[in-house]
Amino acid sequence: MDSIEDFIEKFNGAVDFQEPVEITASTQLHTLPEWDSLAALGVIVMFSMEYNKTISGENLKNCNTIADLHALSA
Amino acid sequence: MAQSTLHNVRIAGVASCVPRQTVSNLDCPPEQVSMRERLVRNIGIASRRQSPAGLCFSDLAQHAAEKLIQDLGWNKDDIDALIVVTQSPDYPYPGSAVILQDRLGLPNSCLAFDINLGCSGYPYGLYVVGSMISAGKLKKALLLVGDKSTNPNSQDQGFAVLFSDAGTATALEYDESAPPAYFDLYSDGSGYKAIYCPAGGNRNPLLPEYLEPKAGEDGVIRRQVDIVLDGPAILNFSTTRVPPAVDALLAQAGLGKEDVDWYLFHQANKMINETIRKKLGLPPERVPSTLYDFGNTSSASIPLTLTMHARETMLQKPQRLLMSGFGVGLSWASCILQIEGAVLPELIEV
Repeated sequence: MDSIEDFIEKFNGAVDFQEPVEITASTQLHTLPEWDSLAALGVIVMFSMEYNKTISGENLKNCNTIADLHALSA
Repeated sequence: MAQSTLHNVRIAGVASCVPRQTVSNLDCPPEQVSMRERLVRNIGIASRRQSPAGLCFSDLAQHAAEKLIQDLGWNKDDIDALIVVTQSPDYPYPGSAVILQDRLGLPNSCLAFDINLGCSGYPYGLYVVGSMISAGKLKKALLLVGDKSTNPNSQDQGFAVLFSDAGTATALEYDESAPPAYFDLYSDGSGYKAIYCPAGGNRNPLLPEYLEPKAGEDGVIRRQVDIVLDGPAILNFSTTRVPPAVDALLAQAGLGKEDVDWYLFHQANKMINETIRKKLGLPPERVPSTLYDFGNTSSASIPLTLTMHARETMLQKPQRLLMSGFGVGLSWASCILQIEGAVLPELIEV
């Protein structure tokens, strides 16, 4: 399992933020400016390619924080 | 697993036709440019082709077919079959193939019917037509594939930025010297709601309220007659189903990845296509894309990509192609064909 720091670095790339955003494990996903359908697809691709895991739209909806997402990568 | 090998079938030609009218995904108010640039970067679609009012898929396909018949020098009376793969017919019925039999001036002896498939439709269509030819009774056939997918009435921006219009024609003929063609076809109807149109068919006949835009559970404003796309479900379906299907087909044909000159995938969006390519470990130069300039052209995307990127090499020497389509159904299909000496006109724009 990646460290939370490594996970956040990959998450940043997957979401493709237009402006740099400060993200920690407790960051609420819905507060992020670009947490939209495109970001969701980017994160699903990230899980598939980086962690060999298939996560669904429902899995994503059930995640509130970055830490919740990180737990899915285990 | 519907694996099959067809013999005695030759691809004699492929032609592709698109509307001249181009729509840019970056054509938006200044405050939205940055957001749209992010979108284009990720879905890989900068511009699309949109039919003006009155121009149907069948018109694009007719232009492609007429050019192909002319360049092949085929006698129309010799064409035994006309199969259309589309989900945008001129009318709910009759099917577009029968109407096009007349419009193209083909004889009454020509069998004609439609196949209702989308993004997997090109390999499926080649299999259906190829099977009829391989049986030996039909000698020459046309396969017309594509859709008018753009919808100016849609308020779903996630849909609007993806889709584009195109029609294509492929000529197939009986040829005992043709190399074998390998096919592998799949279906999973349990996922039909990933890409579907809720109303307008017999399950939910058209009512006036179905034409009223309303926010769905996902917050997207649509009418009941508009297409619903479940992005995560489509992404997961495509990237988990297609790579093993491609590997299985290569094994069926006894080929390695390096034995294929071109991998022509349905052009869905860059996220899906790049994930498939990377999972298969394919070099980008063998996996051409028409997404940037043409967007998602439904079942026409494979022959359109052939016309735009593989055509020039194919005119010089025989080329082995692996084609793979995937989407609405859910349905996915792949084939491996070796094409030599085919007639391949440049892109037709109308």
